[in-house]
Amino acid sequence: MNLKRLPIYLSFCGLLVSISSFGQAFQVNFQGQKQQGMGLAGTALYTDASSLFYNPGAVAFSNENSANVGFTPVFANILFVDSTTLNGYRTNNPMGTPFQAYGLFQLKDSSALKFGLAIYTPFGSTVQWEDGWIGRFALTRLSLSSIFIQPTVSYRINDRLGIGGGFVSSVGSVNLQRDLPLQFDNGNYGSVELSGRAFGLGFNLGVQFNATENFSIGFNYRSQINMKVTDGEAMFNVPTSLATNFPSGKFTSSLPLPQVATLGLAYKFNDKLTAVIDVNFVGWKAYDTLAFDYEVNTSSLQDTKSARDYKSIFAFRGGAAYEVSDAFTIRAGGGYGFTPVQAGYATPETPDANRLYGTFGLGYQLAERLSVDASLFYTQIQRAETNLETNLSGTFFTKAVAPGISIIYKW
Amino acid sequence: MACIIVLSTSCKPKYSEPELSAGDINPERFVMIGDGHSGGYMDDALYFDGQNSGLAVLLGKQLELIGGASFTTRFVGENSLGANINGQARLKLDFKEDCLGNSSLSPVRSATLGDLNIITSSTFSGEAQFRNFGIPGLRILNVISPNYAQFNPFYARIASSSTSTVLSDALATEPTFFALYLGLEDCMVYARSGGAIDQLPTAEDFSTTYNLAAQQLTTNGAKGVVATLPDVFTMPYFRTIPFNGLNLNESNVGTLNSIFNPLGYSFQVGPNPFTIVDPEANEFQVRQILEGELLLLSIPLDSVRCNQMGSIFPFRNEFVLTLEEQAYLQSKIETYNASIRTVANTYNLAVVETNEVYQKLFSGMVFNGVNYSAQFVSGGAFSLDGIFLNGKGNAFLANAFIHAINKHYNAKIPALNPGDFNGALFP
Repeated sequence: MNLKRLPIYLSFCGLLVSISSFGQAFQVNFQGQKQQGMGLAGTALYTDASSLFYNPGAVAFSNENSANVGFTPVFANILFVDSTTLNGYRTNNPMGTPFQAYGLFQLKDSSALKFGLAIYTPFGSTVQWEDGWIGRFALTRLSLSSIFIQPTVSYRINDRLGIGGGFVSSVGSVNLQRDLPLQFDNGNYGSVELSGRAFGLGFNLGVQFNATENFSIGFNYRSQINMKVTDGEAMFNVPTSLATNFPSGKFTSSLPLPQVATLGLAYKFNDKLTAVIDVNFVGWKAYDTLAFDYEVNTSSLQDTKSARDYKSIFAFRGGAAYEVSDAFTIRAGGGYGFTPVQAGYATPETPDANRLYGTFGLGYQLAERLSVDASLFYTQIQRAETNLETNLSGTFFTKAVAPGISIIYKW
Repeated sequence: MACIIVLSTSCKPKYSEPELSAGDINPERFVMIGDGHSGGYMDDALYFDGQNSGLAVLLGKQLELIGGASFTTRFVGENSLGANINGQARLKLDFKEDCLGNSSLSPVRSATLGDLNIITSSTFSGEAQFRNFGIPGLRILNVISPNYAQFNPFYARIASSSTSTVLSDALATEPTFFALYLGLEDCMVYARSGGAIDQLPTAEDFSTTYNLAAQQLTTNGAKGVVATLPDVFTMPYFRTIPFNGLNLNESNVGTLNSIFNPLGYSFQVGPNPFTIVDPEANEFQVRQILEGELLLLSIPLDSVRCNQMGSIFPFRNEFVLTLEEQAYLQSKIETYNASIRTVANTYNLAVVETNEVYQKLFSGMVFNGVNYSAQFVSGGAFSLDGIFLNGKGNAFLANAFIHAINKHYNAKIPALNPGDFNGALFP
């Protein structure tokens, strides 16, 4: 086993999962393989138990007990080309591991009431820059992870209208590392590591309206969740003579995970072909400041407040599924998302930009009760930036590919 | 699994090597003439790490990227303690106890004696091979003074003979590109002495010598870059001890007032202006220092703390730059800079306005996530002597040279990352 990868497996066991960013900012849009195949859209469609995330309202039109488990390894790589030295610096990001686990139950066949439990990872990011990179004093590593646990109830009001909702409790962790411009007598730089666990609460509501037999509209609202780190630990690695200036100790911080509202449309052209469109509104405006409040301040160690000034954004997603045979389905899609990161605010933690992406997917019915879905996501983005806070100036190039797979068992 | 490995490697963004260019210059044989500010003198000594992050070496390295031959410097031993002209070892940071028994991080000599080989070894006396003429102590008129090796051991280390001149040695390397950063040491002799030593060259001598150097260096078609002089009063050496750093309690105030009230000066509890010697002040030649007048880092601080220096015993002239002395040096610097710009114009050379770098540090700036300023030690850009830049500071200065060369000669030379070079090292 590659030792470098070891911490990921360990953290997986601890249910704190590292996730590479591949939505806008550190949003992660991989919660269902069918939707992923169709350009990450499908709010207006009951696809499978993953609709517990995409639209609890649509779940009202399910008629099954099912379990759905999947994951989407993410391979994201960033190259930063510094505008003054013209040198290139890369990330050595660990593989991201967003996952999904859904359970859906009804008390009796065709019941109007459905119960579900959804566990998923809608926000996260792990960025690990190469040693000694030019932006080392801004960031060397950031790992954000969150797991949302959402018990859900859906109710079919009539043949056309279904509603659903769930409470979300989110547990997460943050680990931020950067070098400090303080040199040991051998010339090595000091560093700081801020780590902590975070917790937050929210909800997920959905409405599904089947306008005609072939045309449906879905609306989903997922609330903002403020992830609070109340018992963070700051570890300073500095020369002995400066140890009292940088006391290791506690810190508090918080990070808003934004509200997301989605309007979805689905149209069934015929028995074989279905198309979906989603429009997302993501309330990133909530992320205006990243602040760290240290329990013990010194003249060298003050609380920090870094402006982020994100703006709320729209993303447009669409795709289609085609049933090649009773057992075999192919899917394709794509989308465009605006970046919430305004000019001057892109950082090595989220070198985000407007992005176009494409996806592809397959579905196969292995047995009457067992099916498998797979998807592939690809995007590449580029952003030239001079950060207003650090004056780090250059161009970030990002490529990300994410193949995903899930299995569904119905009974 | 194999598929995943392919995915993880195939989706790396491609880095294209930048297309560098020498533009209109021939970087093959680069020579630099300057003083310790060019030669990597820092922490009040010439030593290996300093030389290796000196302005000349940094420029030489970057010019190698566009086709320059290996830039040759006579380095001192890698583990040498270094030496200043008095044979003292380089400064380092360590805990030092003051006369009150308080221990704090301060610049101290890294050994009782420096590497005397540096200043006592005989004249190099070999064929011209070094192109780094960043010579600590070099003043502008020394560039053409014969027998200079007999007066400056830092030149003797590289001089082709005991009678050669710096300029003739530089010319002997047949430079195709040159950098001149001359005149700063002249100004520093005045400034470091608190205006007590005035050997500043006349405007005419400065201009004549600078012209001569540029004329001879360009004879064979070589191109070059010249640097104007910065406002030297931005250096931490002149900005660390505040004019009103005299903190008094009631009993001190009583004593001082009984002495100074008759002269028309009074003291209060709290911060007060120090006292200085001024022959023109009054019959006792003593007055309080004015805001804007500068106290030098050469002041023996224990004498201030424990022996009433700066209060009962006023600071001597050598520790103070009065407003008048500052204005005098500033006007000299302006004159010299005008000459340098004229030379650049005459010989169509690139000009670096070094003051822009010093002013940016003086007002404080953020670069690649690091705060830099002209604060002593903590500012991160000046070495422990408070006068010479450290490796990071030199990288900023070298970048200003590179920017000027790129602009004037249509070249594309990459800048340096200051984070790659050493600042103060902490125990």
